[in-house]
Amino acid sequence: MTASSRFLALAPGLVLLLLASCGGGGSQSDAVGADTLATDTTPKETELIGLGGQFFSIPSPAQAAIAIKEAGLNYQQGVTAPLDKGDARTTRMAQATMLGVYGADMSYVTVHKDVKRVLTTLEAIEKLSAKLELGNAFDRSLMERFKGNMGNEDSLLRLSGIAFRSADQYLKTNEAEDVSSWVLAGGWVESMHLMLADPASAQNQKMVARIGEQKRTLDALINLVGQSNTDGQADALLAGLRELGTSLQHLKTAYVYEPSVTDAAKKTTYINGRTTVDASAEQIADIAAKVATIRNLILA
Amino acid sequence: MNRILIALSFLALGLGSQAQTLCQPIATRCEQHITASYIPDGQFYRALLQGEEMAEFNLTLFGGTTYRVAACSGDSDGILLFNVFDQERNLLFSNRDNHNAPYWDLVVASTLDVIVEAQLDPSKAGSGCAVMLIGFKR
Repeated sequence: MTASSRFLALAPGLVLLLLASCGGGGSQSDAVGADTLATDTTPKETELIGLGGQFFSIPSPAQAAIAIKEAGLNYQQGVTAPLDKGDARTTRMAQATMLGVYGADMSYVTVHKDVKRVLTTLEAIEKLSAKLELGNAFDRSLMERFKGNMGNEDSLLRLSGIAFRSADQYLKTNEAEDVSSWVLAGGWVESMHLMLADPASAQNQKMVARIGEQKRTLDALINLVGQSNTDGQADALLAGLRELGTSLQHLKTAYVYEPSVTDAAKKTTYINGRTTVDASAEQIADIAAKVATIRNLILA
Repeated sequence: MNRILIALSFLALGLGSQAQTLCQPIATRCEQHITASYIPDGQFYRALLQGEEMAEFNLTLFGGTTYRVAACSGDSDGILLFNVFDQERNLLFSNRDNHNAPYWDLVVASTLDVIVEAQLDPSKAGSGCAVMLIGFKR
């Protein structure tokens, strides 16, 4: 960890520790509290510099939506989450995971050109982002820009990506890494659900491969959610993700390195290594059941 | 006690806003490298680095996709060095070999897990906020 990041990250904890040590009518139990507050600086550090200096990226739900379409699977209107679910969310975790779910659904309906559903999903996202106080990431102007780009799905996916990145930046700037990780978790679980929703997925080699390729992403997600789970709010979610992780670990994957080729004039490198994934229909069914369990937990 | 409270609150707020002040203009500049033909991945990655310290970003790159990685620090392009390794630590790309390019495209034939290591170019900066952004296109 860098000195500057340590300094910035520790500042709030230091302030709390100093306040606690000021006395101010504090009792013996307050002193115990002071110790707790001091220990609390550890997750704050990870908020700024990542876990042991590591950062984890979760693939955009738009990539899953594109993969579903490119694999030739049919669009299924009924597989997205009910849009009234967001209204009943009262905790920040429930709101954040549902925001991630709707974000993944919006990519899915966008890629499949379901214009009406795009707008209603965006409205649901706007309501949830207001509850989560995500600044201006999903405001009325975004809605207008969406309406102005309805015929261009890549523009819509780009607008959505910019809005979610803006929300993520806002959350991380305001030390709400836990909320950021819940949004990502909701989005990833919903993407898995959408990839598995069509029974034809289990027979589609492209989709089987894409599902198997999520091993490392799931590890990353468990790390992300786990590192900010200081109050145990995400225990059930983490348990579900870890259970799913055991199923993904059983899939046979192989990687073969091949040298990459760089074209400096085009500022492009061609990465030629190859990964293969082998999964049986039973293994895919097992994964689908575990994804459904986690999704039910989020939608409950 | 109240005065200490107020003073320390301002200190905490000041440090928080210092981080924001440091990273925000870098993020704004870095966003320009994820041009209109790329879809942002929806995430914002930042680290505060000093000296030769390194931030490590773990990514899965999916086959059939072109990714744009933008890595920025300081008040101009070319301050952040980044290397891309596969899971066996084979070096796939280094912007150090390409004039510290602030962004690069990775055309991925088959899905693989990669690690992007980022650090400040010691000849250009001793400390600063490192921002990494990712976009992709089909």
